[in-house]
Amino acid sequence: MSNFSVGFRSNGTVQILDLQGELDAHTAAELEAAIQKCQKDNRVHILVNGANLMYISSAGLGVFMAYIEELRESGGDIKIAALQPKVYNVFDLLGFPMLFDIVETEEGAVSKFETASAD
Amino acid sequence: MRAVYIACTRKHLLDGCNKAIPVPVERHFSSPVSPSGMPEDKPDTINKPARKSRLSLRGSMILSGLMVVAAFILSMGFHFQEWTTGEPASNTVFLLFSAVATVGLAGWWTLIRRFEGLKDTSPARKLWTLLVSGGILMTVAGVIARIGRISAPGLELGPGFDINTGIALTFPTVIKMGLISIAMATFSFLLMQRLRSLILVKRSRSSERNWRLLLGLMVASSLTTLFMEPGASPNDWQNVAMIVVAVFMIVNAFRLSWIVFLSFKEKLAALGLCLVLGIFLIFSLGATFNSSVAIVPGGFDYLEHFFMPLATFTQLAGVFGMMYCLTAFLSLLFHLPTSGDYEQRAGERATMHSLAALVGQVFDADRLFATIAASPVEAGSADASWLVMPDPDTGSLRQHIVASHNLDPDRIEQFMDPSELVDALSDDGTGLLIREAAADHRLNVGSGDRLGSLFVVPLMARDERIGALFAAKGVVNGFERDDIETISIFAAQASVAIDNARLFEQQVEKERLSRELSIAREVQRKLLPQEAPKLRGTSMAASSVPAQEVGGDYYDFVKLGDDRYGIIIADVSGKGTSAAFYMAEMQGIFQSVSRLASSPSDFLHHANLALAQSLDRNVFISAIYGILDLKDETFTIARAGHCPAATVRLDGESRLIRTPGLGLGLDRGDLFQKSLVEEHIQLAPGDVFVLYTDGVVESRNRHNEEYGYDRLLEIVDEHRHEDADGIHAAVLRDMRQFLGAEDYDDDMTLVVLKWHGLPLDVLSSTETTLKEST
Repeated sequence: MSNFSVGFRSNGTVQILDLQGELDAHTAAELEAAIQKCQKDNRVHILVNGANLMYISSAGLGVFMAYIEELRESGGDIKIAALQPKVYNVFDLLGFPMLFDIVETEEGAVSKFETASAD
Repeated sequence: MRAVYIACTRKHLLDGCNKAIPVPVERHFSSPVSPSGMPEDKPDTINKPARKSRLSLRGSMILSGLMVVAAFILSMGFHFQEWTTGEPASNTVFLLFSAVATVGLAGWWTLIRRFEGLKDTSPARKLWTLLVSGGILMTVAGVIARIGRISAPGLELGPGFDINTGIALTFPTVIKMGLISIAMATFSFLLMQRLRSLILVKRSRSSERNWRLLLGLMVASSLTTLFMEPGASPNDWQNVAMIVVAVFMIVNAFRLSWIVFLSFKEKLAALGLCLVLGIFLIFSLGATFNSSVAIVPGGFDYLEHFFMPLATFTQLAGVFGMMYCLTAFLSLLFHLPTSGDYEQRAGERATMHSLAALVGQVFDADRLFATIAASPVEAGSADASWLVMPDPDTGSLRQHIVASHNLDPDRIEQFMDPSELVDALSDDGTGLLIREAAADHRLNVGSGDRLGSLFVVPLMARDERIGALFAAKGVVNGFERDDIETISIFAAQASVAIDNARLFEQQVEKERLSRELSIAREVQRKLLPQEAPKLRGTSMAASSVPAQEVGGDYYDFVKLGDDRYGIIIADVSGKGTSAAFYMAEMQGIFQSVSRLASSPSDFLHHANLALAQSLDRNVFISAIYGILDLKDETFTIARAGHCPAATVRLDGESRLIRTPGLGLGLDRGDLFQKSLVEEHIQLAPGDVFVLYTDGVVESRNRHNEEYGYDRLLEIVDEHRHEDADGIHAAVLRDMRQFLGAEDYDDDMTLVVLKWHGLPLDVLSSTETTLKEST
C-alpha cells in the first residue's frame, strides 16, 4: 500500500538514505524510523538522496526538522541532495535551504561532509 | 415474553450446576413449539377453550353428575326390587337396568376424565396420586366388605348371594354391593385415565388409535358378559375377545416414552411407585383367585352381582394396570444407567440455549465471559472450566484468565501459564487434549489440585485466535468424544458472542469519536470568519475545506485602524486533530498580536516567538500576512514559507509574490526575522490577489497531475474582470472540473481579494462632506 521506501547505503562515514516515492503524513513514520536507526548506529552524517522522491508534504518536511537539532548536537548533520525540481520547490518555499545543506549532487554532499570533518 | 423465558432458563442454569434441568427440558418435549420458537404453556392451551365455555361446561358437568346419581339410584332400586321379590327380574326390566347402568357408568367415566384433563403433572406424581386415591377407595371398599363378615380359618363364606338366583340374601348385602361396586369401578376408571395420560405423552396418530381400540375392545368384550352368570367361566367367543384385548394391552403397555425425559431421581421415584402400584393392583383388582388376601374380600363377587360387564371391565383394567406397571418397571430399570447421559444432553441443550441467547443480548463483557466460562461445567462436560483471553481492560496482549468456574483463577495460575498453553494451540481451531495432566510438562499439577485431564480449545473469530476455553476434569482420561465435541461447539458459539461484543463496542466507540469530531469541526468552523468584511473599493471572498473533520488551515481578517485591514492565511504542517489544535493557537495569536504589530514582518516575527514555545519540533506553520491600506491604496505583504500569493493586474500581467521567508517554527532564533522580506505594492484598480494553501496547487487528479500554479494563474487571469466572488467561484469550479470525483486529499483554503479602486460615489460623497464642513 505504501508507495514510499528508504534505501540504506554508505559512503565512508556518510550514511546515505535513498528516498523513493511519496513522503507524506502516512509514510513519514518510515523515514523517522530510518533516521532513528542511523542515530542508534551512531551514524550521524546522514545524506538524503532525493533523486527518486516524487512528492513531499509538510508532514514529510517535519521529519527533517524533528531530528536535525539532535544530530547537529552530536556532531552530525542531514544534507539533502539531488532533489527533483518540484520537490526542491517545496523545500525552497519554506526556506529549508536556509536551514539545511541542499546540494545538487550526491557527490557534492559527500565532499561537503568530508571537508566539514576535515576542519 | 421471550426475555422471561430466557431469564427462566438462566435461572435454572444458575440453580443447578450438575443437576438436571427438568423444567425447560420437559417443556421442550411435551409441548408443541410454535414457529416463533416460543414454548407454549400446555395447561394454558387446555384451559383456554374450557374458560371460554365455562358456564356450559359446568352445566354439562352438573347434568352428567345428576345423571350418574340417578342411574346409580335406579340400579340400586333394581337390586332392591330383586331382593324384596326374591326372584330375578324379567328380561325387559334387566335390559332396562343394563342400559341405565351402562349410561350411568359412561357418564361417570366422562366426569372423571373431565377432572383428569384439567391437571398436568409429572409422571411420578401421576402414579403417586393414583396410588393414594386407589388406596383410599380400596380401603373404604375393604372396610365395607368386612362389616358383618364371618371369617374363620377353613371356613369361607360367600358374600351372601343366593347360589341359584344370584340375588342378595340380606338388605346390607345390597347396600354393600352397591358401595363396593362403585368404589372399585371408580378406581378402575381412574387407573385407566392415568395410564391413558402416560401412554399419550408422545402423542401420535397410531398411539391414539391403539389406545382407542383397546378401550373400545375392553368395553365391547365387557358387554358380551352381560348375560353371564356370576362365577361362570367364559365361552369360546369371549375367550377369543379376551385374546384380542390382551394383544392390544401388550401393544399399549409399551408406550413408555415418558420415561426418557425423567431425571435420575424421578426415574428412581417412578420405579418405586410402579413396583408398589403393581403389587397394590394384584391385591386389589387382581385378587380374584384368593379372596382371603384381597384388600376387598369378595369384591369381585359383589361387582359381578351388581353388573357383570362392570366386573369384567374392572378386571381387565386391573390386568392392564399390572401389565403396564411391569413394563414400566422394567423399562425404568434399564433406563436408569443412561439417565446421566440424557441429563448431560439436556444440560448441553439448555446451556447452548442460554449462550445463543447471550449472543443477541446487550453486551456486558463480564457477564458474557462468566457465562462462557461456566458453560462446559453446566453442560456436565467438565468439572471446572475457565476462559483465557488478552485482558480487555488493560489492553495488554498477554493471555489472562478473564473468568473461571468452579476453580479460583489464582489456583489455576499456580499450575499453568495461560499464555504458554494458548500459544501451543494450533490456529486451525482444533483443541488440545491433555489426557494426563500430571504427566504433561506444560502443567505443574500438584496432588491437591484435583486435576486429572485438561482440554483446551481456541476461540477463533474471523481467522484470528482471540483466546481459549479450558475445561478440566478431576480424573485422568476424563474427556470422552462427546465432551470434546460439546466443548468445541461451545467455544465456537462463544467466539461469535465475543466477536459480536467487540464489534458492538468498536461501533459505539466509533460513533462516539465521530460525534466528538463533528463537535470539533463545528468549533473550528467558528474560529474562521463567518463572512468576508465589506470594505470600500474592495471585494473579498474566502472559503476553507478541511480534508478530514478538522484541519490545519486558517484564514482571517482584522481591522487595524480606520483604513487599515489585516489579511492572513496560514497552514499548519500535517493534517487532522493535531494540526487543528495549532490552527486554533494561530488564531489566538493572530487576534491578539496583529493589532499591536506595525508591519506584516513585525507580526510574523512576534508570532514566531509565541509559537516557538508550543510547537512540536516537527511541526511548523506557513503563513502570508498582508496589510491593506485603503487611504494610501497599498498592499504590504510578507510570506513565512507559505505558497506564494498569486496576483493578476487589469492588463493581464500575472505573477507569484514570492518574497523570501522561513516558515513559522522552523527557526527559533534570529534567522527567521532576518529571512523575512516584505513587498510593498501600490494598488491599481483591477488588481487581484489570490491567497491559498498547498491543498489547492498540490491537489492531484486521477492521472496524478497536480493542479499547479500555472493553471491557477490562468483561471484567475481569465476571470480577472469579475469581482472577488466571481473569481473565487471560478477557481473552485475549475478545480472541481480538474480533479473529477476525487476526494480532497489535503485541507484547501482559498482567499480572493480584488481592488476596484474607490468608487465615484464614495469620492463625491467625501467631497460633499468636505464642502459642507467648510
